[in-house]
Amino acid sequence: MTFTGLSFTQVLTVLGAVGGGVVILYLLKLRRRRIDVPFVKLWEQVLAEKQTTRLFSQLKRWLSLLIALMIVAAIAFALGDPRNAGITEDGRTLVVLVDASASMQATDEEDGQSRFEAARETLGELITELGPTDRMLVAQLDASATPLSPMTSDARVLEEAAEALEVLDVAANPRAGLRLALDVLRDQPKAEVILLSDGLLDEERFDTSAFSERLAESAIAFSWEKMGEKESNVGIGAFSVRRYPLDKSQSEVLVELYNPTDEERAVELELLGDGETVDVQRLTVHGGERLRRFFRNISGVDQTLEARLKPVDGKPDHLPADDRAWARLPERRRARVVVYSAGNLYLQAALLLDEYLEVVEAAPSDYPLEGRFDVAIFDSFVPPSPPSTPALYLYPVPATDEAWAPLAVEGVIETPYFDHIDRRHPLVQWTALGDVNVATALQVELERGDRAVARDDRGPLIVTGARQDQPFVAFTFDVRQSDLPLRVAWPLLLLNTIDHFVQERDGFVSSYETGETWYVPVGGGARVATIVDPQGHERDVPVVDGRAVYAGVRAGMYTLRAGDDGAEESFAANLGPGSESIIDPPDEVVLAGVTAGEPSQGEAGVRQEIWIYLVLLALGILLVEWLTYHRRMTV
Amino acid sequence: MKLFGRRQKSEKKRSASDEDLFDEEMQRRLEVLALVARRIYRGRQRAERRTRKTGAGIEFADHREYAPGDDFRYLDLNVYQRTGRLLIRLFEEEEDLSVYVIVDTSRSMEMGDPPKLQYAKRIAAALSYVALANLDRVSVLGFSDQMETRLAPTRGKNRIFKVFEFLRPLEAKGETDMKTALRTFAAQNKRRGIAILISDLYDPKSFEDGINQLRYAKFDPYVLHVIDPADARPPLHGDVRLVDHETGETREVTVTPRILEKFAKAHARYQQQIEEFCGNKQVNYHALPTNVPFDEAVLRILREGGLLA
Repeated sequence: MTFTGLSFTQVLTVLGAVGGGVVILYLLKLRRRRIDVPFVKLWEQVLAEKQTTRLFSQLKRWLSLLIALMIVAAIAFALGDPRNAGITEDGRTLVVLVDASASMQATDEEDGQSRFEAARETLGELITELGPTDRMLVAQLDASATPLSPMTSDARVLEEAAEALEVLDVAANPRAGLRLALDVLRDQPKAEVILLSDGLLDEERFDTSAFSERLAESAIAFSWEKMGEKESNVGIGAFSVRRYPLDKSQSEVLVELYNPTDEERAVELELLGDGETVDVQRLTVHGGERLRRFFRNISGVDQTLEARLKPVDGKPDHLPADDRAWARLPERRRARVVVYSAGNLYLQAALLLDEYLEVVEAAPSDYPLEGRFDVAIFDSFVPPSPPSTPALYLYPVPATDEAWAPLAVEGVIETPYFDHIDRRHPLVQWTALGDVNVATALQVELERGDRAVARDDRGPLIVTGARQDQPFVAFTFDVRQSDLPLRVAWPLLLLNTIDHFVQERDGFVSSYETGETWYVPVGGGARVATIVDPQGHERDVPVVDGRAVYAGVRAGMYTLRAGDDGAEESFAANLGPGSESIIDPPDEVVLAGVTAGEPSQGEAGVRQEIWIYLVLLALGILLVEWLTYHRRMTV
Repeated sequence: MKLFGRRQKSEKKRSASDEDLFDEEMQRRLEVLALVARRIYRGRQRAERRTRKTGAGIEFADHREYAPGDDFRYLDLNVYQRTGRLLIRLFEEEEDLSVYVIVDTSRSMEMGDPPKLQYAKRIAAALSYVALANLDRVSVLGFSDQMETRLAPTRGKNRIFKVFEFLRPLEAKGETDMKTALRTFAAQNKRRGIAILISDLYDPKSFEDGINQLRYAKFDPYVLHVIDPADARPPLHGDVRLVDHETGETREVTVTPRILEKFAKAHARYQQQIEEFCGNKQVNYHALPTNVPFDEAVLRILREGGLLA
């Protein structure tokens, strides 16, 4: 006999506590009531006869107590949910992982049913087939693994868990699912992990090989119920938007279409700006092709962009989740720039190119100028102390050797060249610096955390970093002693630097990816923000270092509320990994080196739940006690 | 009603503050009772009882030798003419009857619903009134283990309020010891007469000894046994500790229907024992269940027995 509810110790504890209470109450009951009678002598004859039956009376009292204790014992053992040990060991212990990733939204099942709905139906069948001693735990597998029920044989609880399953716009994390299953099934008899999935698990990101040894040693069976069969999909693989650096009224949009199938697909791509159609293109995407398309000079769009894809070749597209994508345009804001310079025509001219810059010029002797600025530019001038704004230092030679400088100057580099350029860095995008001629540059020493975006073999030429928590960019050469001002790269370099500061501070991201943790910038020093997801569900999220932290699982437009004034901002999220567009189910699933087999069959039958009979026994005894009491047999 | 009309004025204030034991309803019932009692005794000499004592009555009793100082008027001249002897005629002296109403005021009498003492008080008041209406000399007494209080013999119907005033403050207290109490009664009251004993007869020592004290002292005893019907079948069940209301003695018992049945039989036996004793000793006995209205009970007593006849 084993106890699957309360443990045997707990049953004994309940029995002891309640049984003790019953005995105390019984002793209290035995305290006789005092009754005044007019002539007790009359009772003596009766009592004399009663003495002969005293033993029987005592027995009846003990019988009454025994009945009460039997009721308590029956209920206490019922709470323990006792099972026949032999039968319990025969029962299976199942962990059912239901794949709720984006690919499970594919509608290639019968009657247009999605894979996820089919998985839910299969789960229902598994619950129905549970044997009398089988137990099951239902967990949802998405970017994490979430148990939705306890390990139970209660079909009603399991069905409620099945109803609570929810498909999301993320990739499935097999590592989390396997870890949960191994933890739950440790030392359990006849343990089995059943995966209800299309088998499209993101093993590249979530490697399960670390569990190989543990799974092999545990004797836990791993089985897979395949969902979905067909492959017919074309989707949006990437969607991004940016404003032009020199004309922020216009934007450039990148759309990448992905056809994971072998067949050529004809699609219509519609681009909407702020809800209005901006452009429509008919495109052909070859099998396996990632087709990139740029929509240039998009104007008249202030906030949101949406891309919609639909096939026009009459073939089905089973996964609608990757047919839409959203993006948020960066806010157009006039940046305030202060320039401390003794006079630099090239600098002044370059700054005039951006109409969204508000430039204030000042002599080095005017430092620091009052007012709030987004960027400070120091032209051949180093302030006596680190500025409280992001700063661009052009040829930062300190006034004296003891004076503060963003970079320690150790010497001079004659005729440096841009030998190494970090092309991925936003500072140097759209620039060609390879053949720029420079007369001399400062030999500077980088501090920890500093980064040389461009450098000569002998030393850095463009450096980024932070001083006193404020970012800075330093050009170690004097642009006036180079041909850089004569090139297009010069104003781009300047404007990239300013945008880098401004956008870095704002942390602007045109769209987030589902399945990742998002850090959404929040203004106003709020500690808590409210995020409203595309389905309208509100959720309070913490704000850390000025950013709302949120693990997004749905694609679409979100709203963020924060601050005392409840100011709202929107941001976009798109289907995370492009691999979710691949909906062709594999023939086999291998996790941690183990190939999934067929799920075991249960033997549905009458569940041997002894607790029901114990409760009925308690009720029966209670009825007997009631009858005997009211018939004055046990009083 | 007229009888009490004048009295009511003077008694109004007091009655209002007293318990309703002898309220207007009680008084009205007593009046009716007196009228009925009068019809029952119609034809009998009103308020006259002959005693064995010779004296100044009109009924001839005997002769005796003349002695100097005797009243010449009682010389029997006819005998003197025939025999020449001077004999004095003796007559039975006329005397009003003494009625003693003796009420048990032990603690057991305060039990019952209504309390037995309250019922006993009403019976005592009713019988006193009937007796007073017959111009008998009435004395009311209370006892427990001794004689407690006493209303001096009184006569006349309008003296009923004295009886009320006596009965009203009587409280149940003490244990029952009829033998001791009634022996004292007999010693204190030389004038013999009817002794009406109103009691539940719950005497732990012996009710017989108490009644015998009245018999031995030549009283004419009437036993009115006040019975609370609930005494025979108390509403008990389960484990109880029985405590004697008078003595404090305790008995533990688990009351079951069988036990109750046995107790009822024991109670009936005790009552039968009392009745048989009284019958054997030619003592008038009447059982008075407290659920019978007191006036009905009194009329039954008057009709059945020779009380006040």
